[in-house]
Amino acid sequence: MTTSESPVSEPLWRRAWGHAVLVAIALACIFPIYWLLATSLRRPDDVGSLSPIPWPLSLGNYVDAVEKVDVIGLLLNTFAVSAVSAVGQLFVALLASYAFAMYSFRFQRLLYLAFVGTWLVPFQVTMLPNYVLLYQLGLINNLAGVIVPTLCSALGVLMLRQHLDSFPKELVAAAKMDGRSSWSILWTVVVPNLRPALAALSILLFINAWNEYFWPAVVLQRSNSVVQLGLRSFMGTEGNDWGPMMAVAGLACLPVFALYIVLQRHIVNAFVRSGLK
Amino acid sequence: MFVAVPELTDAPVPSPSPAVVPAARVHPLRRVMRAAAPYLYLTPAVALLIVWTYRPLIQAAQLSTYSWNLLPTTPMVPVGADNYRRLLELPTFGDSVWRTVVLVVGLLPFTLVLPVVVAFATRGVRGRSRAVYQSLIFAPFLVAPVASAAVWQWLLDPGAGVINRVLGSDTNWIREPATAQWVIVLITGWHFIGFAVLVVSAGMAGVSGHYAEAAQVDGATRRQIDWWITLPLLSPTLVFLALMTVLLSAQWTFPLIDTLTQGGPSQATTNIYYLLWDYGFHSFDAGLSAAAGVLLFVGFGLIAGVLVWLSERISFHDD
Repeated sequence: MTTSESPVSEPLWRRAWGHAVLVAIALACIFPIYWLLATSLRRPDDVGSLSPIPWPLSLGNYVDAVEKVDVIGLLLNTFAVSAVSAVGQLFVALLASYAFAMYSFRFQRLLYLAFVGTWLVPFQVTMLPNYVLLYQLGLINNLAGVIVPTLCSALGVLMLRQHLDSFPKELVAAAKMDGRSSWSILWTVVVPNLRPALAALSILLFINAWNEYFWPAVVLQRSNSVVQLGLRSFMGTEGNDWGPMMAVAGLACLPVFALYIVLQRHIVNAFVRSGLK
Repeated sequence: MFVAVPELTDAPVPSPSPAVVPAARVHPLRRVMRAAAPYLYLTPAVALLIVWTYRPLIQAAQLSTYSWNLLPTTPMVPVGADNYRRLLELPTFGDSVWRTVVLVVGLLPFTLVLPVVVAFATRGVRGRSRAVYQSLIFAPFLVAPVASAAVWQWLLDPGAGVINRVLGSDTNWIREPATAQWVIVLITGWHFIGFAVLVVSAGMAGVSGHYAEAAQVDGATRRQIDWWITLPLLSPTLVFLALMTVLLSAQWTFPLIDTLTQGGPSQATTNIYYLLWDYGFHSFDAGLSAAAGVLLFVGFGLIAGVLVWLSERISFHDD
């Protein structure tokens, strides 16, 4: 993102001032994350050290953490939940946004507002009736119960609709002339051309699902089988064992950071674009 | 967990799909299928919306008129408006609403004021260095709330934490009623500030430079241009961020409070969102929780309505 060419030329001192502000903010933002990783990589005896560089490096805290909690199992569970949730949300949102963008039909605005309106409903409000329904379906303390309530993502519908609204309609019209059904047009014309948007959205949905706390906390009251809850119970039982705790916290962020390091610009743009109408 | 709030006001009406070449005789069944197609595509999404958002909203309203302890074996006793009366008489409820207001107002410097200052101060920074800064300040937005609770607990630890050792104090920030709420505000602000800066920068990129040029020709100083032209043109972005702060304070603070303070010390961090959770899953008072939820939903609707109305009133549309 570059700001629009400002008509006022930027003198050197102003650029330097801008750099100074950004360095200060960036350091403040990154320090806790750096400290989390630095602490986790110190030798277990050096955890309380204030030296900015964790040296000598050691994986001792990670070994301790794996002995205390089944971190690997938790990560696999969380990965499965997030992947299924993201794919499900993507599929549901794709079908819905296709309908909104390619057709005009009765109640279109009303239905669209029904999606927008979900943001006015905090989940604490709907939590009890949903808990009762999940209980009746036998999904409490079951990973499926974490996934199902999240499958309809209004965010996904709105983002894909924006992309589809600017989709070249000639392509669709040409395929219609060939007498193809809307279903086959969706999969052979629209989806292949929408790949970048779908990829960006799926990463965004995956990260959201990975960091999700509220639904797992409601549904998995006794089994703590995703990494966020595993970390919470670790904080409760091993209160001051900072080294292993930072190791578990680091592992809880690991996949998201790995994605971010590889695809940072795309992720930043996807999140920011989703925040702008 | 993250959502974006779109323009609530004018959902774009899509252009009608290109006219289909009229076939000599379309089979009636195919015509029905064509008319039904959009509804069929919407079915899964709308069904999920109804089951997981709108049904429970209505049920919560019903539940708020019953007394029930969440156990399937106990009967639900209708009590009319009794839950609402109890709620309004409980000092905890009023206190928690007030704490929620303090929380949202305390977040605004992080989500609105600082991001605007930073975005304006850093317009001159371009190119590669800008991309590096962006990816650094955005990173906290992706940290899982529980992981951030863990690391902040470590940073703020009274004995061994970095912050106290640098300050030379032994304050137990998280356990002091006077500071606990501000710890929650600080951590949430830390999560959010990078995102807000990028949103403001993106908003500024969309503001046309012509007005500023015209004003400059008329002899306006840079400061005047920023204050009287650029900032008003940014108002939709600013209203969006304010709305976001209100709507998301519910989601962002809950995991932190649940892992760090459980609403304590002595209720200092029990805001309305945590109170609902507490009534439902700790006191098992489903009716009371649902009644508080209904009031919260109404409050949310009013705030969102006012903000959207404001943005309509004060927005200087750049057209």
